[in-house]
Amino acid sequence: MAEAQTETPPSLSEQYSLKEKAEKSDVATKVADAEEVENSASTSSKEVVTEEVETPAPLVESTEVPPAVAEENTEANPVAENSVEDAQVAAEESNERTKESSGDAEETPEIKLETAPADFRFPTTNQTRHCFTRYIEYHRCVAAKGEDASECDKFAKYYRALCPGEWIDRWNEQRENGTFPGPL
Amino acid sequence: MIVLEWLFLTIAACDAAEPWQLGFQDAATPMMQGIIDLHHDIFFFLILILVFVLRILVRALWHFHYQKNPIPQRIVHGTTIEILRTIFPSIIPMFIAIPSFALLYSMDEVVVDPAITIKAIGHQWYRTYEYSDYNSSDEQSLTFDSYTIPEDDLELGQSRLLEVDNRVVVPAKTHLRIIVTSADVPHSWAVPSSGVKCDAVPGRLNQISISVQREGVYYGQCSEICGTNHAFTSIVVEAVPRKDYGSRVSNQLIPQTGEA
Repeated sequence: MAEAQTETPPSLSEQYSLKEKAEKSDVATKVADAEEVENSASTSSKEVVTEEVETPAPLVESTEVPPAVAEENTEANPVAENSVEDAQVAAEESNERTKESSGDAEETPEIKLETAPADFRFPTTNQTRHCFTRYIEYHRCVAAKGEDASECDKFAKYYRALCPGEWIDRWNEQRENGTFPGPL
Repeated sequence: MIVLEWLFLTIAACDAAEPWQLGFQDAATPMMQGIIDLHHDIFFFLILILVFVLRILVRALWHFHYQKNPIPQRIVHGTTIEILRTIFPSIIPMFIAIPSFALLYSMDEVVVDPAITIKAIGHQWYRTYEYSDYNSSDEQSLTFDSYTIPEDDLELGQSRLLEVDNRVVVPAKTHLRIIVTSADVPHSWAVPSSGVKCDAVPGRLNQISISVQREGVYYGQCSEICGTNHAFTSIVVEAVPRKDYGSRVSNQLIPQTGEA
């Protein structure tokens, strides 16, 4: 595994570093309202792609939180016809969860049907690099914004959804030893 | 009932292989429905060609006889028939290829964002399933192993070499992403009713996206020779309504968080 990942083409990392910088400048301009950031962290790929569009109006989004989340849920699952009620419930649940995740994790976890979105960079069956990229993205994000930056939570969710736990453990170990074979 | 069994028309209540099964299992996903439809499409042309070729063959054998036709015909050229037997065999594969490629690419494509990611990790000789969408740390995860129930422990009504101790619970009518990989040797994660057969290769993550259309229990088996107990590495997918899925997962998550 480690051997396979060592030949990461430089073009890929350059691509991401550019994207990271663009995102960073965007994020730096906006006020880090805790709740608003939590919401953006728990959204799907639509938001990741159109982040530049949505950042100019953070106030609007924070005022109408439940409908926004409900819309995203229906977008994420267009097949589910009964998703309107579910989405309302899920929206409330997600609000609860954002509060409790900032508190302690001992309470009963709320189940929300949400996972890493389909990524246009990885349209094929082989998702190995998708997992690896999300892991790197998270750690670059943490390196850029600090350990407890809540913008990075979505990347953490994505790589945990995609990567097998065994791989994550090994990579964490490699990062501690300084032998991680990737651009961090 | 016995007569029906003679005719190989056993009535099975579950989506599993049955003795002397000749056809497909019932489709549970649009993908499997597409596969069955393609099979029928192709069989139309197949039967057509079979009948035509058999007719020519039998007719030639019938007429090539020393008493009925002592002097055989000696045609070695024929422009018309040569054109026809070139054009038609090149058109027929086209009619087969168009639906075939359409299905192939629609199966490969992930159009919508999935709602759930499940990781199916093959081991010698069991499977580990990870539900990691609900994690808040690297350590915490809903992970369980799924072993085939040995023959001696089977209860009445359970299928031999198909039943497992921990089923994969998925919500019905939801887009699922299943990440298939292996920890040791190549395995294969196959569930015929959902039209899925995906190789599990160590060091590689293969993604399949399915959407189970009806609730039920679907059975599959390992489809890549993975060692001695290859035959004892089965797969059971249980599709439940969405509401039940939430409670199932949160019930399983509570002890996990308690330990962590």
